[in-house]
Amino acid sequence: MTDSLAFKPITEIAVALRSGEIGAAQLLRQYVDRIEKLAASSKAFISLDLERAAHRADAIDGQALSDSKLSGIPYACKDLFDAQGLATTGGSRVLADNIAQQDAEVVRRMDQAGAIFIGKNNLHEFAYGATGENEIYGTPPNPYDPARLAGGSSSGSAAAVGYGLCAAALGTDTGGSVRAPAALCGLVGFKPTFGRISTEGIIPYSWTLDHVGTLTRSAADAAILFEALVSGCQKSEIERFAGLTIGIPETFFFERCDSEILDSIDRLMAFLRDAGAKLEPVAMPSMEYTRTVSLTVQMPEALSYHNRYLEQRGELYSRDFRAGLALGQCLLAEQYIRARRFIESYRRDLNTVFNDVDLILTPATPAIAPPIGAVEVEVGGISEPAGNAITRYTSFFNMTGHPAITFPCGMHSAGLPIAAQLVGRHHADEDLIETARLIEQTRDFDLPLPDLR
Amino acid sequence: MKKVQQQTLIGMRDQLGGYAWQDAEISELVDPKLGIITGFQDLLDQLEVLRNIDLQALPPAGDIPGK
Repeated sequence: MTDSLAFKPITEIAVALRSGEIGAAQLLRQYVDRIEKLAASSKAFISLDLERAAHRADAIDGQALSDSKLSGIPYACKDLFDAQGLATTGGSRVLADNIAQQDAEVVRRMDQAGAIFIGKNNLHEFAYGATGENEIYGTPPNPYDPARLAGGSSSGSAAAVGYGLCAAALGTDTGGSVRAPAALCGLVGFKPTFGRISTEGIIPYSWTLDHVGTLTRSAADAAILFEALVSGCQKSEIERFAGLTIGIPETFFFERCDSEILDSIDRLMAFLRDAGAKLEPVAMPSMEYTRTVSLTVQMPEALSYHNRYLEQRGELYSRDFRAGLALGQCLLAEQYIRARRFIESYRRDLNTVFNDVDLILTPATPAIAPPIGAVEVEVGGISEPAGNAITRYTSFFNMTGHPAITFPCGMHSAGLPIAAQLVGRHHADEDLIETARLIEQTRDFDLPLPDLR
Repeated sequence: MKKVQQQTLIGMRDQLGGYAWQDAEISELVDPKLGIITGFQDLLDQLEVLRNIDLQALPPAGDIPGK
């Protein structure tokens, strides 16, 4: 293998493995070499389990390779996921000694599919934040510009794939924490229908909003991971754009957005229209209070989980997360329940929108990756906290539970990726991924690789 | 609705149970000086708006039904 395979999608690596061009152990060695060279600068990993990985790679044989496209494929997961024998730290001092006794369900499933677990990725402490800043393990930079954020909270997962240190990564997405960093790093980020992928063995942030998601180099790779991670995955019947009706939100999702991002989405819309899709404006539910609703659910739920550690280890939490938990303590039960009722209202309203369209298209983020350390991002003359901006277009779909995928659709003049987001009906995950794959298959929206020399 | 006071939140902490947040942390919620958490009062104001919207018998969100 050459280093260039490290930037190939799983679909191509699997072909190289099956053809015997490269062996699983040799493939792993190449990734390990890259990790040794780039782990410090990428800040992508909190821990590695290369012994387990090597043992697994040695056991991959021809039969295993023919059984599964994931056989022999090295992957990593956010350090909220349990992997037997490794600490599940949550990116925090609080759980530095929290050794997992068994694998998370998704790690078990990846294992069964033949994938090779190599380690745990850095993150915003306990997934509380979208910038991916972490005062203990460092802030993963963007592979396209090390002065910029990879984004978060699955920051290390995005950096690991973006820097070519593994073929794919798993993360959690509570407000966009898979989709947004994937978008900022030129990757594909997929969040399934709420509940479709098991969260067993994963440190929760907010039970109502948490989704397990995938960060991959392509939508085709997302499909491979999804098939391994769920039961009852079905083949999509979508074969072409003709016949698809794609909703374009009339409000909110195209507002206060970088003009070059809007230009790229316009180009994507023109492509879809030319390819036979019908694009229709759609009236979305009111977004005025969605952030309030989301926060009102998140913080009491986060507090409820972390209460078990606060008495003994409270001083080990970062100051900003403690403040968020304190806020969770000061909300009333009726406010929390009401917020969850509003979530139900959003779900029903969005389901109504899907009576008329098959998919909804939005930009993935309103801004490109912010500089590391930026507190605020200014778009359209208005400043907002960087974390809020990063997830402004993604967080609504955590509340509604609809599947959503972000994928590259252009390069900004600043040299950073631009991405689009497609959202589908509940349980139409396979169709959603397949539509993104059809777009990707045209190669019209391919990005240059990051220059990591 | 009146603006939330530090003493109200201290009373919640001391009289309703829960973790023993430091006074400085509670103070930050009502009078942010460090910029760690801002907008708690705004959040409460928005929740007050939401309280006045009649959701009739709509239940809280739960699992999403299967296909």
